[in-house]
Amino acid sequence: MTTLDPVEVFRQEASDLFEALEGALLDLGSRPDDRELIDTAFRALHTIKGSGAMFGFDKVAAFTHEFETAFDQVRKGEISVSKDLISVALSAKDYIRALIEAPEGTDSIIGDAILDELRRFVAPAAAVVPAEAPSAAAAAAVAPTAAAARSRGWQLHIEFDRDVLRNGSNPLDYLDDLRKLGTAFATARTEDVPLLDELEPELCFLKWDVTLNSDCDRAAIDDVFMFVQDEMVLSCEPLTDAGAEVETAIEAPAPVIAAPPLAPSAPEAAAPLRPEPEKPAAAPAKSKGDEQRRFDDKGLATVRVQAQRLDELMDRVGELVIAQARLSQLAATTDDISIKAIAEEIERLAAGLRDTTMGARMVPIGSLFGRFRRLVHDLSRDLGKPVDFVTSGEDTELDKTMIERLADPLVHLIRNAIDHGIEDTASRAAAGKTEIGRIEIAAIHSGAQVLVTVRDNGAGLNAARIRAKAEEQGLIQPGAVLSDDDVHQLLFQPGFSTAQTISTLSGRGVGMDVVKRTIDAMRGSIDISTQPGRGTTVTLRLPLTLAIIEGLLIRVGEGRYIIPLAAVEECAELSAEEERVRGRDFLNMRGDLVPFLRLRDLFDVAGQPDRHQKIIIASSGETRVGLIADQIIGSHQSVIKSLSKLHSDVTMFSGATILGDGSAALILDVAQLLAIGANVGDGKHLNEAA
Amino acid sequence: MEIQSPPPSLRLPADCSIGGIRAIYDRIRSLLTQQRDLQIDCSAVDKADVTSVQLLLSATRTADEQGGRLDLTEVSQSLKCTFQRAGIPSSAFSERSDAQHSETK
Repeated sequence: MTTLDPVEVFRQEASDLFEALEGALLDLGSRPDDRELIDTAFRALHTIKGSGAMFGFDKVAAFTHEFETAFDQVRKGEISVSKDLISVALSAKDYIRALIEAPEGTDSIIGDAILDELRRFVAPAAAVVPAEAPSAAAAAAVAPTAAAARSRGWQLHIEFDRDVLRNGSNPLDYLDDLRKLGTAFATARTEDVPLLDELEPELCFLKWDVTLNSDCDRAAIDDVFMFVQDEMVLSCEPLTDAGAEVETAIEAPAPVIAAPPLAPSAPEAAAPLRPEPEKPAAAPAKSKGDEQRRFDDKGLATVRVQAQRLDELMDRVGELVIAQARLSQLAATTDDISIKAIAEEIERLAAGLRDTTMGARMVPIGSLFGRFRRLVHDLSRDLGKPVDFVTSGEDTELDKTMIERLADPLVHLIRNAIDHGIEDTASRAAAGKTEIGRIEIAAIHSGAQVLVTVRDNGAGLNAARIRAKAEEQGLIQPGAVLSDDDVHQLLFQPGFSTAQTISTLSGRGVGMDVVKRTIDAMRGSIDISTQPGRGTTVTLRLPLTLAIIEGLLIRVGEGRYIIPLAAVEECAELSAEEERVRGRDFLNMRGDLVPFLRLRDLFDVAGQPDRHQKIIIASSGETRVGLIADQIIGSHQSVIKSLSKLHSDVTMFSGATILGDGSAALILDVAQLLAIGANVGDGKHLNEAA
Repeated sequence: MEIQSPPPSLRLPADCSIGGIRAIYDRIRSLLTQQRDLQIDCSAVDKADVTSVQLLLSATRTADEQGGRLDLTEVSQSLKCTFQRAGIPSSAFSERSDAQHSETK
């Protein structure tokens, strides 16, 4: 059994909070008055502060406290959100992240500079309160003026859930916040604090009665507890004038605390309450039953699982699927009905387990898109190119491994789109375009694939310039005949760059080739379409998962191979006429000419082909290729095993799988075969095979 | 004249917040299982929260329950401030100065 490192748990939770915070800050750029966004940012800050203090990240707690205090001005509407404020807030967020992830590597001078910047935005009358502010507030609270005490106010009864401390909240902070509303007299009720034998030291047993002399309204009090309202019961009753006078009499002789609370009877003795004048206003926030139900619902909604465990689970399911295939194969050779029935039952269960496990690994791609918003924001600022960033299809799910691998390629594509695609403001104006550029990133399911597109409305690709650069760099021969698509593919050549100058963003030619390699490794493909003056769209076609695929098992000679079923359009028998004509590289598929490859020739298989050859039409996007095999065996659940490094130069296969009889079958890399097929169409390749 | 030795003393660490409260709890509980009286030196405490307040209240009650006594000595400013913020009077605890601490009877 493994134990969770609480600090690691905090880091993980903080990471989620940073995402929420960054998203809210970036959205505030376009919707500065959105109350929901402001609350989201504030809530994230508040939780980071509380949890940071709880797990011993004192610097995090102190810095975030000041950040939060400054941002509180925004929440209260005392200062408005500006782009400069958002930039500083993002820097502050980055600094807090650094404090958590690499505390030794952070420089407090940077933190101080960020806080100074934040303070510039805060109204002078409400300067950022230092981290020790709570005790100062407390001191102020215990020395109230008689005038303040005479004002009307509220009598509060506060009872937090026992788990509230473990969740990172600090009740004392809330009491301090109440003291900021006026003069508050907090009396702890200690009757629930058990003897040591029964004490759970991390639970909260204290309750509080607070007399708040203030002219604030109920909403201001609710505001104090807004982030913990699901973890407490709060009752709030208005004080009468008479009550306030009684309160004055109680607090006056007590220099430190309002009333002695230790004895069980103390709260009653110290209770300053008046008879309740208006019951409706005094209703508790909610019942404990409701709270418990809400907690239970939250608990059912999501469970955080270590990624490694999901990987292990997937591995084991993969092994189970292989074992099940062997069982099915054995069962097929026996006449024992009961064995056959069990094999079928296990096949059904294994398929269900596979689907469930793969489903558990699926992550909405929106979690990835969120990261790019900051990238676009920063690039837009650094390059002086205003850009709108639009995302769609955030709910589209992909295997978590795919999401992790997709991050870098998308960063490169977005950088290129802003740096090379989007024109500067003057050029856009001269071209009659809006001054603000637009980058769209979208995801959509397409059969067993996911299409991720990065689209800009910039200048589009300049084929002539790409071609000239490629000739200059010796990537193509001068005067070579290339289609526009071929020219665009040059962008993915190692070292290729059309940038006039090398910047921190681009120009070194490193990036697009990495994009291609990464997408190829994911068994995906890249399409580029462009319109001069209108923009460029890069489409990534990706399989849903890298773990288990539905495959079509074929035989070529004695060898067996898998074609990913998602890429298979149709299967047919090669006609005797097509079989005979061996000088031809095309099939006529209902009027469409489709290039084909004889896999026996491609794999250099000796001997005579089977009498009735089969043809499998595989496709990706608009590109199709026919693959001629000796036999189509049937569908096969293929648990993908990577090829070893020794086979890294093998391009026609993307992996291998284990068949039911324990033998291995190679998985065809359809993207590569399509590329070979396209060359066949151009008459450049494999004429000897025909 | 009988010289009475002072009860065993425990010095609280600087961090008495929730992150380290379990270890402190275990120590105090263990000591109060072995003896009726306990002195807790609070001079080093510079970080405290609700958990430390509750623990000291619980320990005081436990000592009282078993006919003993728990004294806090040299309560740091930080801990006093936490009592104050939590609405706990200093009278809730038996506090002794250094002079009382070393007194012989």
